Amino acid sequence: MKNKVLSVLLVAAMAASLLAGCGNNDGKKDTSGDSKTPSTESNAGNDDKSGDDNQEASANPVTLKTVSMFGGTDPNAEVYQAINEEFMEANSHVTIEDNSQTSDEDWKASVATSFSAGNEPDVIQYFTDATADAIVATGKFVTLDEIRAEYPEYAQDTLDSSLEAITNTDGVQRAVPTTGFWEGLFCNKDLFDQYNLELPTDWASLTTAIETFKENGIIPIACSLNNVPHYWIEFMMLYAAGEEEYTSIPETAPEGWVKGLETFKTLRDMGAFPEDTDTVDDAYVGQLFRDKKAAMQLEGSWYAGQIEDTDNTVVIAFPGLDGQKAKAGAMIGGITSGFYITKKAWDDPDKREAAVKFVEAHTCKSAVQRYWEITGAISKAAVEVDSIDGMTPMALSAMQYTNAASSVSSPTDGRLGSAAYSSLVSNIVKISVGSMSAEDAINEALEIYRNGASASEAATE
Amino acid sequence: MLYKKKWPLLIFVVPSLIFMLLFLYIPFIENIKNSLYDMTTIVELPGTKWRFIGLENYKKLLTDTDLRIAILNSFKMMVLTVIFEVGIAFVLAVMVSQIKKLQQVFRTVYFFPIVISATAIGLLFKLFYNYNGGMLNQILESLGKDPVNWLQPSTAFIMICIPTLWSYVGFYFVIILTGLSDISDDIYEAAAIDGCSKFKQVFYITLPMIKPVLMTSVTLAVTGALKVFDLPWVIAPNGAPQGITHFLGTYMYQTSFALNNYDYGSVLALIIVIFGVIVSKGVGFITESREEKEERRRKKHVQRRKA
Repeated sequence: MKNKVLSVLLVAAMAASLLAGCGNNDGKKDTSGDSKTPSTESNAGNDDKSGDDNQEASANPVTLKTVSMFGGTDPNAEVYQAINEEFMEANSHVTIEDNSQTSDEDWKASVATSFSAGNEPDVIQYFTDATADAIVATGKFVTLDEIRAEYPEYAQDTLDSSLEAITNTDGVQRAVPTTGFWEGLFCNKDLFDQYNLELPTDWASLTTAIETFKENGIIPIACSLNNVPHYWIEFMMLYAAGEEEYTSIPETAPEGWVKGLETFKTLRDMGAFPEDTDTVDDAYVGQLFRDKKAAMQLEGSWYAGQIEDTDNTVVIAFPGLDGQKAKAGAMIGGITSGFYITKKAWDDPDKREAAVKFVEAHTCKSAVQRYWEITGAISKAAVEVDSIDGMTPMALSAMQYTNAASSVSSPTDGRLGSAAYSSLVSNIVKISVGSMSAEDAINEALEIYRNGASASEAATE
Repeated sequence: MLYKKKWPLLIFVVPSLIFMLLFLYIPFIENIKNSLYDMTTIVELPGTKWRFIGLENYKKLLTDTDLRIAILNSFKMMVLTVIFEVGIAFVLAVMVSQIKKLQQVFRTVYFFPIVISATAIGLLFKLFYNYNGGMLNQILESLGKDPVNWLQPSTAFIMICIPTLWSYVGFYFVIILTGLSDISDDIYEAAAIDGCSKFKQVFYITLPMIKPVLMTSVTLAVTGALKVFDLPWVIAPNGAPQGITHFLGTYMYQTSFALNNYDYGSVLALIIVIFGVIVSKGVGFITESREEKEERRRKKHVQRRKA
């Protein structure tokens, strides 16, 4: 008898432990216990705190669930967490439950899951281009117009051109940006000086540099074709096709795009890429560049924060291609992320106030100034920033480059969407060895784009 | 009957059954359903509706060259796993079972690689294989030779297989060692008295007596090789270099999560399951003992008679 009772108790304990993982969620669709979505503790916190009496609206304790892409070793994360701390001190009734992560495909999938399960955060700093289309289509974001109807001074520091840049693909503005980005060619000037080379300004000087470096055992271009060939894709297509063709979404592979991507094979045959470019990742080639084992790396403004030798590293415009159609000095950049407020927060009167204040704390002039400075004072700020004294040679060269840019175009993945673009990226290695033609790869990507576009059209009908 | 009252059984069995149903079988059915649609995101978000595309993904299977490479590599891996993992494990187990003194030490040493996370082993070997400053190339350079690109197309597959095979030898080693300890020493003594050499003893006594254990190990090894993911992905993601080292597991992961093509990834997952079932049934068929074969034939004969 005792044994039976004991065994039944044990089974009950086991069954109870199975149910412990379930929180307030809709259960089955939630991802596993160590998911990247806001934890169940915050759900429990919500039940305890905001379910209380609603007598004085302003003093009601509020738990704000926030998510941003400022995570990991991103220097922005420092500023983000600092602003969060200051916000909680200034507004003692607000507790911020933050769950920021560096963005990658897994993280994007987990964000999509949280939105579909009704578990979305109150404020999220997310993309504003085609990457965010699926989530924008859920209708769970509040638009800028709606917010400004209640809070006319919302996002007052943000430049109009920046707000225009973060318009979602359906033409509506929802997010408030902090900083944007540009992409350019980072060069180890000391290596160039060592071999008496000029910084490349056109295709001829680029090929001379590549050949000289190759002869002397320096890797000319630090790029991992298997992992992140993105920036080379963008610049070579831009320069070969010209700004207008580059920013269009064609039916079939245009000549300019094809010519641009075929340059991958040309460069690889020249030996411009590392020997093991097929198997290494971006972090590894970045280290090669910083260790002065590679001469050039095409990267973005976010990369400047990782450069240690800011005296001997400079940023210049993409040298150009043979027979290029784009103007010299054409630049790729833009603003593609910002802080959204979700309807979940907006519809809750206590959270609404807190969420608006939170976004303003991160997007006002002083906050953006901090974001801008922490990444080396060289990204594109969404407000008018005050320049700082004592800029490093790298920052100065970047400023010169971005100021002299003859045109600014936004990158292709913002137009084609992630499915189509990642298919193109995955075929770059094959293009570089000639086992797949650039035309076929582009057409494949365009077809995926068309299938996705027709799917969303069908949804809105 | 062992238990007169069946209800205690139910209490123990039902919770696990519910758990498996919720987290294994229902998602599996959902997966098959999803493969018939064009999934734009990993879950169906409120504002979008997936397009029904029927068997288009299944037709794509027939023309996908990367899939052929993946299937070929997976089968190659299966063969290698049986020969090297189970084979080496058997040899080690036989040798260790003969040792009296340090048997426990050797058991721990050979089992240890399993305890290390496969991702850690993968990163370790990736550092070994690095062209610029990897351990192997450093050794070569110190000997005055040129560095070698270990993960070049011609050698990449073998370089990936080596750590994958090495890390799981200990698992089968322990299983086989346990099976060996079940064989009583009397048989060996009798054979020794009859003049049987140690080497022949292995062939004529050990192998036949641990056949069930070996067959279990082979089945586990083969189905494991079909699903292998973590090590190949860490060393050479996306079938690097140049799509040569695709395995079924890594190709499915790449399709679903790197290329965001979730519906095709669902189809690939289904293919892996189907292959797994076929392969394990096949292994069982090839290795069934004579008695089981006769039993099976007799049953078929009886059924035919009845019909």
